Order: sequence, then structure tokens, then C-alpha cells
Amino acid sequence: MSSLVEQVPRNALVWIIASMFALLAPHALRIPVWVLLVYIVAVVWRIQVHRGRWSFPGRVVKVVLTLSGFFGVMASYGSVIGLEPTVALLLIAFALKLVELVKRKDAYVLLFLGYFVCITEFLFSQDLLVTLYSIFTVVLVTTALVALHQPGQQRFSGSSLRLAGVMLLQALPLMIVIFFLFPRFGPLWTVPIKSHTAKTGMSDFMKPGDVASLSQSDEVAFRVKFAGEIPPASELYWRGLVFSRLRQGVWSSLGYYEVPAGEMRPREVATNGEGVGYSVIMEPTQQNWLYSLQYAVSGTAGVMHTPDYRLYSPGPIESEYMYRARSWPRSVVEPELSEWRRKTELKLPPLGNDGARSLAQRIRADVDSQQAFVDAVLSYFSNEPFHYTLKPGRLTSSDQIDEFLFDSRRGFCEHYASAFVFMSRSVGIPARVVAGYQGGEINPVNKTVIVHQFDAHAWAEVWLEGRGWVRVDPTSAVAPSRIEWGLEEALASEGTFLADAPLSPLRYRKLPLLNQLRLRYDALTYQWQSWVVGFNREAQFELLHELFGEISARVFITLFIGSWVLVLTPVAISLLRRKSTREINPLDKHYLLFCERMSEIGLARETGETPDQYYARVREEVPEKAEQVERITGLYNELAYAGPGRAERSLAEFISAVSSFKPDRRRF
Amino acid sequence: MNVRQGVTAARGAGVDTGAVSADLESIIDAAVSEIGSILLGKEPQIRLALCCLFARGHLLIEDLPGMGKTTLSHALGAVFGLDWKRVQFTSDLMPADILGVSVYDARDASFNFHPGPVFTQLLLADEINRATPRTQSALLEAMAEGQVTVEGATRALPQPFFVIATQNPVHQSGTYPLPESQLDRFLMRLELGYPHPKAEREMYLRRHSAAQEITTPRRCIDDSQLEAIRAAVSAVHASDTLLDYLQRLVAYTRQSPEFEVGLSPRGALALLDCAKTWAVMQNRGHVVPEDVQMVLPSVASHRLVPSGDYAGDGDALVDLLLRSVDVVAP
Repeated sequence: MSSLVEQVPRNALVWIIASMFALLAPHALRIPVWVLLVYIVAVVWRIQVHRGRWSFPGRVVKVVLTLSGFFGVMASYGSVIGLEPTVALLLIAFALKLVELVKRKDAYVLLFLGYFVCITEFLFSQDLLVTLYSIFTVVLVTTALVALHQPGQQRFSGSSLRLAGVMLLQALPLMIVIFFLFPRFGPLWTVPIKSHTAKTGMSDFMKPGDVASLSQSDEVAFRVKFAGEIPPASELYWRGLVFSRLRQGVWSSLGYYEVPAGEMRPREVATNGEGVGYSVIMEPTQQNWLYSLQYAVSGTAGVMHTPDYRLYSPGPIESEYMYRARSWPRSVVEPELSEWRRKTELKLPPLGNDGARSLAQRIRADVDSQQAFVDAVLSYFSNEPFHYTLKPGRLTSSDQIDEFLFDSRRGFCEHYASAFVFMSRSVGIPARVVAGYQGGEINPVNKTVIVHQFDAHAWAEVWLEGRGWVRVDPTSAVAPSRIEWGLEEALASEGTFLADAPLSPLRYRKLPLLNQLRLRYDALTYQWQSWVVGFNREAQFELLHELFGEISARVFITLFIGSWVLVLTPVAISLLRRKSTREINPLDKHYLLFCERMSEIGLARETGETPDQYYARVREEVPEKAEQVERITGLYNELAYAGPGRAERSLAEFISAVSSFKPDRRRF
Repeated sequence: MNVRQGVTAARGAGVDTGAVSADLESIIDAAVSEIGSILLGKEPQIRLALCCLFARGHLLIEDLPGMGKTTLSHALGAVFGLDWKRVQFTSDLMPADILGVSVYDARDASFNFHPGPVFTQLLLADEINRATPRTQSALLEAMAEGQVTVEGATRALPQPFFVIATQNPVHQSGTYPLPESQLDRFLMRLELGYPHPKAEREMYLRRHSAAQEITTPRRCIDDSQLEAIRAAVSAVHASDTLLDYLQRLVAYTRQSPEFEVGLSPRGALALLDCAKTWAVMQNRGHVVPEDVQMVLPSVASHRLVPSGDYAGDGDALVDLLLRSVDVVAP
């Protein structure tokens, strides 16, 4: 018996392949190169199958392909656990599914998988451009789905694309409702996300050269929006880390458990006035620390305050993260120093850097106060031929501070901060290195401060009697322009600003049009991050609270269902209206009524079954009804096919025969 | 439209039966049994073939070699008592070999037309798809219009004129598949298939026996009887309900994505003609859906081509058609 085997329409296949490559594109730089090869082979294979040249892979080949894909990922990543290997596995499965695409059903599976692949891109970035691109891929995948239902088109046409566009536009209202109202659950389970991506930004230890290497990057670290006036650039010291311990030339911060229990909470700080309010949207760092101005308090849920007056997130920042803070720059922080704290902030390695120690002793001997000592060290830095540079050269000796102070005299901010803190500690002044960012670019478009990685900075804090912790920036003594105008100005003569990134738009700030475009896009990104990406559970709750008052579960469910009804009602109305109201003649109507009654007892007439064939079947199944059914069938046949005759009388007879017909339900 | 006008004459008062005279029924039965005595166990195919000829259509018989194609076609010719000629199609057959050729006659100093084998009442075209498309096309005009044009002169063919062609399955080597335009001119395409084991045993038993000698069936249907059958066919009633069903079938072939091309109006008319003829052969004065369903595979399968998105053949499409279109208006 010959049978009709449905193939995937040519048109749909073209769209499927196009959407597969579109879905692969954003992952292309992350995945091993051989995965791209898998895609090309899969597509060529499937096209050859469609042309009738090759055949679908057999079972053995499929097993081999699947296993080699699996072990290939294992070999490339060293593991199949974690985000990148999992996504790579998914992408390979996606490609291999193409070569076993036989029927329309298989194409459904592939395309629904395509929507899922599209989502995985957001695990890596939630950038505005990525979102726009994802909309593009969703349109492509939907077009392929539509094309599956438009078979028989011999030429490639855009009609599927149009229809898909219209359908997605129709889905837009529902999308908006879901965005605002769908309950935002916390993660139901956690996977080791991004085990293979590098942590970015500051790390929790610092050795000479770390900040300088960070300054090569033009990536955005975070964006800040101030509630009021933006403070001058020289006041924008974004504290992220405090390094209190020097060991073998490396400054590091104290671990959570290295702080005694009594010192775990920050001391109360007397504040006066309103302070400066601002909100920060951080780019993902995979680290825990948040950046703020001294002395900062955050009201955002989940933000912790550390004993060295920083803000801290218990979980690493894995996606764009927004928090609010309020700072009081003029307040006196920690006027009384505990014994433990004083000891910690004075501790130096017992040996090494003798030159620095004796220099500090000499300077301290000449002045009569700690404040004067600080000033004298700063003027030492500015008077002696010290040089501020991104390329300080490597310090090779074990006494790095001595080597820097007396031999090279070339350094970036971390060299100066480190030397300053060392000298202060050696004369008994509690001091520590603070790392973070300094300054930032003001975007005139939306009045945000954009802080880039190259704004990374390190400075010092000294504790002075009666004044608490005071910020001292030795870099400002060497290169005042760094603080006033930023890194680019400070390095103008050296020409090393973003030397390794010739295409960075930040290098072309002098071109007004380009700069304007860059700033406008940055403003758009800020809007995107604060309104869409930052719309988390708290923001959702806040918004609903503002609009509808107290939110209980009942109100929420009502809102949720109500809005769906509101959006879907017009659709339902238009669908109902479209239903045809074709008149059906009484003869067929009653015969169909009879068929319906028969189907109630499980004997439905099949499509294409003639009345006589149906009768023959019924006679077999329900002999006791045969007589009635025969009469009805006979009358129908006569009326429907035998032409005009005694039609009027027979029709009435037929209708009454059908009306009085009742199948015996009990039988089934 | 003329379908309904033609009803009155033959039908009379009776609705169910009596439209066709008992004479015709016995004639048809005699013809069937006469052919059936030569081609064993193929009664449905024989009836369909007769139906095709009663409906004035040309018949294409397709099957593997040795399945009885030629036997059937010869028997049909004999039963109708028609003047018949047989042409074995080969790859070097020329149009002139079929249509005829003008030969110079030195005595008259003029060209005389020597008519080819096509000038007959029944042309048996054996293995038609072994000839080149050029030769196949030579039959086009003859089949469609009952005339041939050779060297500018149009000559009418004797009436009735039938073509019974046999062909091997297209995928066999050395064949030129008939183009759609040619296929469409065949009212029906039949496949014979292997015989039923019982019939085949009968065949073995008859081998080398007396019965074997009877190779030519006797004539059962004369010209007047053929005319009577044709008159009865044109008198058959096709109700609105039935025509609705037929139109739904035709519309489905044109709209549904499985079909590359739908049934042409000629195909639709062929379906109606055959259904009516079948009704006559069932001794019924009106067409019922079963008639349509019975003739549909033979009438439609060679006219339907699956679209590029589907693999399959005309028979599969007819299957789909019968399963998808409801007899009663939905």
C-alpha cells in the first residue's frame, strides 16, 4: 500500500537553518571552534537529504555523533557541569537534531528548543543589544514555525515572516502584562553558573601592578545616578575594598572570620544633614563587594555593612545589580579605635623595607603632629622626582617599597598608596589601603556618572585622633590631574591611555558626533538596566503597592488573572465573530444529528464514510438498532441522492424518524 | 447543469430501480463474465474497464509485464466487436507509423494517403511509454478530438474511437513517462495486480486443457446496445447533495497542501461521467456516493501529483482524499 509521507517544507527548512545560525551567532565567540564545524556539517547534511542526495543518519551513526559531541565538550571544557559546557552541549544537540529532522513533528521539537537556546544567551548578558538581537532571533524562529504551516510554496517567500511579525505584535500586550505581573520567584535551584568566566574588577588582594592592569580596560564597572547635584570629581572616591594586611609585598583584606565577633558590626557614625543619595547599577563582577562613597548606608534589601564601612553583598554579583545608598562625606568615622582595630591597622612585617622605615622616622622626627607627618610625606612625594605612570616597570627586589621609594620612583596609584600606608604604620599611625574607583565620566544626556574599569584607583586612609578615618590620596600629590580630570588627562603626555584598545569608543571622545552617540547609547543602557533588568521582585512589589495599595495574595491573583482576561477578551471576540454562520439544509442537519447521537454510544461515522457503509457497520455492531438505522439511512439516501419525487412527505418522515431515534446508552 | 435536465426521459416514475432496462443489465453481466473467463479473478477491474468504455473514455492499463494487460485489452476489443488494431510502441516508433503517411503514386502522379493503424475503432497501444514523447504526442489529437491532422489535412476517425493503452510502471528502465497532458486524456488508469491465489490455481489447471483454446471472447455488445447504455448514462440523476460532495472532493485537491496540482475541470467531469456510468452498471437511476468512491481511484490517481513537501504517489493522495472529505456536508 502506497502512503503519503510528509516532508518538512522547503520554505520552513530555509527558515529553520537561518534561525539556527542566528541563534548560534551570539555564542560563537564563547564556544569551541569545532562546534561551528558541527553546525556546518549538520546543515549541509540536511540540505543534501532534502535534495534527495544523502539519507538520514542511521541509529549507530546517531549514537556515535551524540557521544562524540558529549566527549568533545568534556575535552574542551574539562567538565560537562557549569554554564558554558551545558550551553555548548545544548547547542550541539540543537545542531544534531537537524539531521534527524524527518517530519513536521521533529521540526516542532527543534524550534521549541530554539526558543530555549535563545533564552540561554541571557545567562551571559542582559545587555540592551543582546535583547534586541534576541527579539530578532525570536522573529526568525517564529517565522520558521509559521512556514511549517504554509507548505506547498515552491518559491522562497517573505509571507511567513510577515505573518510571524503580526503574530508577535499581537503577543506584545500579553508580554507586557506578564513582565509586570508574573510572580518573580527566587531561583528554585542553583547551578555553578559561569565557572569558566574570569572575575572582573578589583580582587580582594593587591600587589603592585594590579590596578595598572585593570586600567587597561574600557569596560563599564558601574553607573551611578545621584538624587541631587553630582559632587565634584575629586570627591568621588568609590570605596570597594579595604586592605589592612601586608604580607610578602601583597596587601589583602581581612576575611570574614578573621574579624573578632565583637568587631563584626560597624560602629555607629554620627551623621548630620541629608547626605548624598544615589543609586548604583553594577555590571556583573562575580565578586561580593559593592562600591560606595564614605560613609555609606544602604537601604536596599540584602546589602550588608562591613566593620570597615563598606557595602557588601552576601552572594556574588552575577548579573546587573542595582542598589541604593546614602553617604555623608563630612562625618567623622570611628572616632574611637578599638584595641584590636588599632593593632590590626598598625601591623607591619617585622623585617624588610628598612629604608622606608628610617625615612618615615626621620620625617616624623622633624614634625610635631601626625597630621603634619601626613602632609610632610605628601610633599615628599611631590617634591622629589616621582613619576605617575601606567608603565612603572617591574619591581624585582624583596624590599619593593624601598626599591620604589629610592630607585625607580615610577609608580601607579597602588605604589604610592602602599608606600604611604607603610610609612604611616611604621611611625605608629593606623593606616590602610583602600581600593575602588575614583571619579567617573558624567553623561550629560541623563546625568549619570559612568565609572569605567580604567577609573580603578587605590588610596590610603589614616586614623587621626579626633578626626577618625581620614582619606589621604598620595597620587594627588604626584599627579593632581588624575583626581581632577581623570586618568586620560594624567597620562596625556605618556599616551598610554587605553593603548591596547585602539577601537574603544572612549578613545574618540574628542569627536563630538561619536561621543554624543556613545553617551546616548549609554543613557539608553542605563534606562534599560534600571527599568527592565532591575525590575526584580522588590521593584515589582513596590510598583504594585504604589498602584493598588496593600498587596495580598488574593489581590495579586485577581490582578494577574484579570489582566489576562482584559488582554485576551478582544482576541476571543474577534475569533468568535469570525465563525461562519453558513446555513445547513434541514436534511443534512438531521442526518448529522443522527450521526451525533450514534457517536454518543461510541459509533461515530467516520469522515468519508457513506451512509450505506455506515449503516452496514452499525448493523454489525448494534443489531437491535438495525431496523431503525436502516429506515433512516434509506430515507436519507432517497432524499439526498434520488432526486425530486415524493420529497416533501419523505423529509417530514425522515425528520420524525431521526427525532424519535434514541440510541441505548446503557449498552456502553 | 445539463446533468439535471437530462434526467426525465429515462427515469420515469421509479426512483430506485428500473432506470436501466433488465436487458442492459444482462448484457453487461454477460460481457463481464465473457472477459472474466479469460482474465480470471479480476472482476472489479473488468467492470471499471467497461465503465470507462461506456463513458466513451480512453483507458490506460498500468502494471508489470505479464500481469494480463494485453489480454484484458484484447478481450475488451472483442467483447465490443470493434474493428481494432494493435500497435506495439517501441523507442524507434515514429508518429507516421501511427497516423499514416502520403506515398507518391507514379501512376496518378500524386500523393496518396495511406492511413495508419490509428484509423480504427479501437486502438490497442501496447507499452505506450516505451515510445518517445514525440510519438506519444501523435495520439493527443486523436484521443481528444477523434480526428488526426496529417500533412495539413484533417481526417476524421471512425466512431466510436477508443484507445486502450498499456504501460509498464514508470520506474522501469527504458520508459518515457507520459506527460500530464497526455495522462489527463485517459479517462481511467487501471492497475491489475497479482491474481488471487484461487484464480491463479484455476489458471494453472486450465493450462493445456480444452478451455485454453477459447482465447477470444465472443461479441456481447453491439453498437445499438452501446448507444442504449450511453443514453441510460446521460439519463442518470446526480442530486445536489451528490454534486456538493463531488465539488468538495475536487476543491480539496486544489486547496490542500498535499497536492501539487488539483483536479482539472476535465478531471472533475470525468469523475462525474464515470460515477454516472457506474450507477448505470449497478442498475440504478441516480448516483450515490459509493459510485463516486468506487471510480475515484481509477479516474483521479493518474491526474494527481503530490506536492514537493510530500513523498508519495497518486494512490496515496486518493486515499487521503477519501479519508478527508466527508460525504455529508459538515
